[in-house]
Amino acid sequence: MIESFASQDTASDDEGPDSVVADALIATVRADSAKTKLTRLSVLRATFPDTDIQKLIGETPIDDIKIMKGASKELYYFSLLSMTEAYALHLFRVEEKDQVKLVADTVRDESRIYPRPTAINAFLDSPYNLSSDEIESAIGSMSLRPDMKDIETCAASNGARYLYSTIYLVPTLAASLVEWIEVGQKDNP
Amino acid sequence: MANVYGYTGKILRVDLTTGQISIDDTLKYKDFIGGEGMAMKIMWDEVAPGTKAYDAANKIVFGTGPLCGTGVPCSGRTNITSLYPGSPFNGVTSSHMGGYFATELKYAGWDMIVIEGKAASPVWLRIEDEKVTIEDARWMWGKGIFDTQAMIASFMGKEAQAAAIGQAGENMVNLSVIRTGASHSAGGHGGVMGSKNLKAVGVRGSGSVKIAADPKEWAELDKFLMSIIGANNQQVVPTTPQPWAEFSDKTSRWTARKGLFWGAATPPVETGECDPKDPQTVGLRTQKAVFDLGAGAEKYTVRMGGCSHCPIRCHSQLNIPQLEKYGLDPYVANTCVGYSGPRGVMAYGIKEFDGHGADSSIVGNAIGTSLADDYGVWCNYAQIGRDVKYCYDKGVFKRVLSAEEYASIPWDKLVKGDATFLIDFYDRVAFKKGEFSHIADGSAWIAERWNLGDEYWDDKAGKLWTRGGYPVHHSNEAGAQVGALISCFSNRDSQNHSHMNFIGSKLPINIQKKIAGEIFGSPDALDAPSDYKPMNIYKARFAAWSLNRSILHNSLTLCNWMWPMSVSHIKENGYRGDTGLEAKFYSLATGFKMTEKQLDEAAARCFTLFRAITVRQMGNSDLRKNHDQTTKWITKADKDKDGKEIKQFTPGTIQMTEDDMAIARTMLYKEYGWDEKTGAPSRASLLKYGLGDVAEDLAKRGLLPA
Repeated sequence: MIESFASQDTASDDEGPDSVVADALIATVRADSAKTKLTRLSVLRATFPDTDIQKLIGETPIDDIKIMKGASKELYYFSLLSMTEAYALHLFRVEEKDQVKLVADTVRDESRIYPRPTAINAFLDSPYNLSSDEIESAIGSMSLRPDMKDIETCAASNGARYLYSTIYLVPTLAASLVEWIEVGQKDNP
Repeated sequence: MANVYGYTGKILRVDLTTGQISIDDTLKYKDFIGGEGMAMKIMWDEVAPGTKAYDAANKIVFGTGPLCGTGVPCSGRTNITSLYPGSPFNGVTSSHMGGYFATELKYAGWDMIVIEGKAASPVWLRIEDEKVTIEDARWMWGKGIFDTQAMIASFMGKEAQAAAIGQAGENMVNLSVIRTGASHSAGGHGGVMGSKNLKAVGVRGSGSVKIAADPKEWAELDKFLMSIIGANNQQVVPTTPQPWAEFSDKTSRWTARKGLFWGAATPPVETGECDPKDPQTVGLRTQKAVFDLGAGAEKYTVRMGGCSHCPIRCHSQLNIPQLEKYGLDPYVANTCVGYSGPRGVMAYGIKEFDGHGADSSIVGNAIGTSLADDYGVWCNYAQIGRDVKYCYDKGVFKRVLSAEEYASIPWDKLVKGDATFLIDFYDRVAFKKGEFSHIADGSAWIAERWNLGDEYWDDKAGKLWTRGGYPVHHSNEAGAQVGALISCFSNRDSQNHSHMNFIGSKLPINIQKKIAGEIFGSPDALDAPSDYKPMNIYKARFAAWSLNRSILHNSLTLCNWMWPMSVSHIKENGYRGDTGLEAKFYSLATGFKMTEKQLDEAAARCFTLFRAITVRQMGNSDLRKNHDQTTKWITKADKDKDGKEIKQFTPGTIQMTEDDMAIARTMLYKEYGWDEKTGAPSRASLLKYGLGDVAEDLAKRGLLPA
């Protein structure tokens, strides 16, 4: 999903109009990333019409600019100078405005990577900033989708609710981890 | 004296019985590194078996190490070693306190203070560089720690550092502390000072610590360490997704984020997203008040505090005006179990009381912390609260207290969650009022005194780890058999975070396993949380390494709540840290070149000596049977929500088995070359570590394994 436009041998030192525009594009992406924002290709096109933006950025000899492609045709640029790929992925999922997929993909990632269940209330906070209603609606939708039947809920003894993916965590492990996260770690400082 | 680097070269010896003050040579103990290691040597040589904690013949050693006062990050701790009255055989233990005492002692020109005997009447020890006097403490005696510290400051100046006991220590309460600075307590030895009529030690130093290193080389190494240092407990992942970070974990101690403040500072200080590339923000990474007390503590947080030469600042300093209602100072400072210990005494939780509404939990907790800190009461790593609950729930108090005493205790407050219960509780405990006050004798003693039986020891909620009377402390819940083993070997709760500063880093398990493989020989040294596998040799290596590093840090002294630097936040380096830093700093500071392996061997020597002392004190070499056995709840299978047993070593349980623990102990004994049957140091292992005299002594007593 994330592609890198690393420096290419064909890059030239040409200071012509294309080079100036490329520099401006890169600067825009970097400035947005410094504000923890992704840069949409559609926005760049509006600012730089009649420009083959992807080609220009691709041919510029820099390696910090990455691109993500979503389910829509939109493309998103970001700079590694200001954010990690992991963080950009969170922003990307928010930008795509598919809250059900955001929740499901985040839960699957955490179940796979760490591995651990994901607290439902984590989606209230930055960078997701979903409302309680939006979260509950996403959970409800997930339970109805065959492609998301691996997403299950569990709760700690203090009532905290979590989601996890059965692709990566069995129920007893998920339950044990949730209890450890919510209760055990506080009891064993 | 020839140039001495890192060390000052001098040990202060004080005999309170005779009033004699003398100087000893530190470097004759060099093979034991410093701090705890040297203290163990002194305890072996000079405290005879059969001595009890409160005997005048017991010694108490306040130790620093060659890195104290040099500026190495996280090098401000004092190690205190003595016999521990809470142990059923008065075993030797070490306690630790942070703050600025150790550094000031080094600046005064002393590596350690060894105190023996008993003064005829209350005294305090006054150290101003080479001028050492035993002062009349009659006006300090009976005062709490806060007033005692204030008095010492008035005598010696506010730059002086004091280590003091409160009324609990004076009254020889087994669970009492020695305290220094704003918030630093060492648990278990307060009563030892009290038994010696020693109220406090005040120290002021005008000197410095010399290092052998080229300043540029020293600065480079320091810069490198600062580039890999994380947050409290060397956790290297923030609580929330942040632009600079690949990972996040809501339970992390790297709590800094946008919108989180030191809320009572003027003006409030935002912790923000502390990019690790900016070393100026290290001290903001751990907003510890919200970690320890919940989100409501943000508005009470004035700042973070900590120890000398530590950039982490893991102690929260709070201003809670509601405390004045109870005649208490509104300023409270502490960290971790300094809060959860007193909170745990409120065995049914703290609920709304006295109109404090949603802040009741914080206000109530602060009442307990403030009282415990001033009286100098220890919690046995929060065990005292669990003992209160057990004894109340099981009717023990009703059985053992007189009807009159039972009726006088405000049990309704305990049950209702009214934290003013703590005012009564700490008064009884600190002043040894009534039978109830024996709750602070320690778990092993109340088990005997109140005839609590096997049910008490084997109660899972009670969390007692062995019949030594101490609880879990990063035990099987932390790294499977690694944590479980570590907890078996001390004579108190293990106070060991060597493994935790790795396992608890919050990095994904695959990254941790990779690094574990590089350090211990296989990724199998580390199990995923709640997904444990049977014992293997790599876990034994990890456990031995953790034990060695803990005593090493307590000898150098470095803060074992931060070190070792096994991991880092640097993705480009595979999140690796550098486990060789202790040896590098030691070599540069002292001029005594030691590799990482050599320094770990020296630590193993210190740990083996500690083990030998335990054998001698117990008068029994079968430590496997009589010391290292865990209580039964640890090996009992869990049940799932349907009541079905979860087999050990399957996903979803952290329980151990007896057979596997037996194998684990054997493997660990082998790591040290100890006798595999008994776990006692063998002649071969003692000779290997240069402890031939120890072997001969044990042999004479019939305590050396065949």
